[in-house]
Amino acid sequence: MAEPTALVAVLAQPFMQRALLGGLLTGSLGGLLGSFAVLRQLSFFSDALGHSALLGISIGILLGINPTLVLIPFAVIFALLINQLVERSRLPADALLNIVYSSSLAFAVVALSLVETYRGGIQQLLFGDILGIGWLDLAVIAVLLVGALGYLALSLRAQVLLTLNNDLAGAFGVRANWHRLAFIVLLAVVVAVSIKAVGVLLISAFVVIPACAGRLLSRRFPIYVASSAALGGGCALLGLLGSGLTNLPSGPCVVIVQFSGFLLALLFGQLRRQAPA
Amino acid sequence: MGQPVLRVEALSVQRDGVLAVDGVSFALPAESDTALVGPNGAGKSTLVAAVLGLLPRRSGEVSVLGRRLGEAGQLPRSVRSQIAYLPQTLALPSRLPLSVAEFVAFGFDPPGPRLPWSGGRRRRQAVRRALQRTGCGDLGERLLSELSGGQLKRVLLAFCVVRPRRLLLLDEAQAGLDATASEQFQQLLLELRRQEGWTVLQVSHDLEMVRRCCDQVLCLNRRLRCSGMPDHALSPARLVELYGPNMVPYRHHHSPSASHG
Repeated sequence: MAEPTALVAVLAQPFMQRALLGGLLTGSLGGLLGSFAVLRQLSFFSDALGHSALLGISIGILLGINPTLVLIPFAVIFALLINQLVERSRLPADALLNIVYSSSLAFAVVALSLVETYRGGIQQLLFGDILGIGWLDLAVIAVLLVGALGYLALSLRAQVLLTLNNDLAGAFGVRANWHRLAFIVLLAVVVAVSIKAVGVLLISAFVVIPACAGRLLSRRFPIYVASSAALGGGCALLGLLGSGLTNLPSGPCVVIVQFSGFLLALLFGQLRRQAPA
Repeated sequence: MGQPVLRVEALSVQRDGVLAVDGVSFALPAESDTALVGPNGAGKSTLVAAVLGLLPRRSGEVSVLGRRLGEAGQLPRSVRSQIAYLPQTLALPSRLPLSVAEFVAFGFDPPGPRLPWSGGRRRRQAVRRALQRTGCGDLGERLLSELSGGQLKRVLLAFCVVRPRRLLLLDEAQAGLDATASEQFQQLLLELRRQEGWTVLQVSHDLEMVRRCCDQVLCLNRRLRCSGMPDHALSPARLVELYGPNMVPYRHHHSPSASHG
């Protein structure tokens, strides 16, 4: 068990302060977007985007450009292409996403094997390096969180109606294609920005787990969205603190805490349903 | 007779490369109840979607309350807010954390972006009233995903009645209901239509109900095959013409009717 002084020492480190703030913002953003992505059956989409991001990073490394700069445009273009592919091919979306993400992962690994002196380390790409987050990263994530909050608040009715029935939403003048594209682009940017902290393998956990836990705990839509975001942020904070105190990798620590939170939500949900009204 | 609430002129719609609706024209007078009937694949849902502006038109015009539907299906918000649509089903994810009252409240605000907490007390009152008028007064706190088929259809009507509207489009709204629930739904629709002054266009396969409840029938099979009062449009000869020779008229236990053979 870590001593309190160890906790204070960890918290006093500037990189740890940035990591905690980054975790809080990234986790909240993942939970917020995840609450809609899960309902609209886009959770596998975020997973595919995460895995495909490795290809974007590889392209950046091969071209000698900072991978972070390549990642956002790559993720957006890639997301739009996948969307087109799903719409035009009329094959099941999960099968198509599987093809896309395994192929891009294969290309990415081949591309990375061509680079002998990549200094970033494959471990950091796969599992993230939240301790390496700078103030600029924090500012980008914060702006994105505010933007996502504004868009989702203003389009809440459209998002819910689109989940229930496209034509019902369309009768209200909701432009289904526009909102679908806007949400996919937002999800792609969030995935791209969060990759540095979370890694390509674990990014979908940030989107899916808090949202599913929030869904088990809520019976009201605003509470569901708020609890998903709060669980995402809270679990990230706890996971990072645990990582700082135990010297274990940060991304996996956060996901283990998220998973524990999900199990607790499952248990709480079961108990609440069994309790007499 | 005043201006029709909905006017469709020479409308043709292509869907998935096939001409699904071909040169259809009709008009719905104010406060009328019109049924759109025809066999599966006749283009009924396509026609409704085109009227809502959800599908591009190949040719023809659609006007709602005197305003023409734009090329991309756009209508002024003031007109769009006068239209309600009842789909056949909702895709309800299990444990969707959305209460009945929250869902009905979405129907209260006019179209366009809006913060979810705007509307406040006025909206809550309108939702309560709509739920009571549709016999759903005790369902407000229930999850939408927990409702039975009949309850869900009544909640969809509450969604329509939560604000004043002029035109109601129903796409096989009674599908999946048993005979009793279907009859109750139709009675409630009839009552609300009279109270609200709705003009109704409903896609239906229930010819018995159409004969009893509707003022006008449009028989569609890609083109408009016939139209008029139910007794005229649903005569045995016309039904055979519309549905094919397997259409066998039969006598219902309480009224004359016809059904698919």
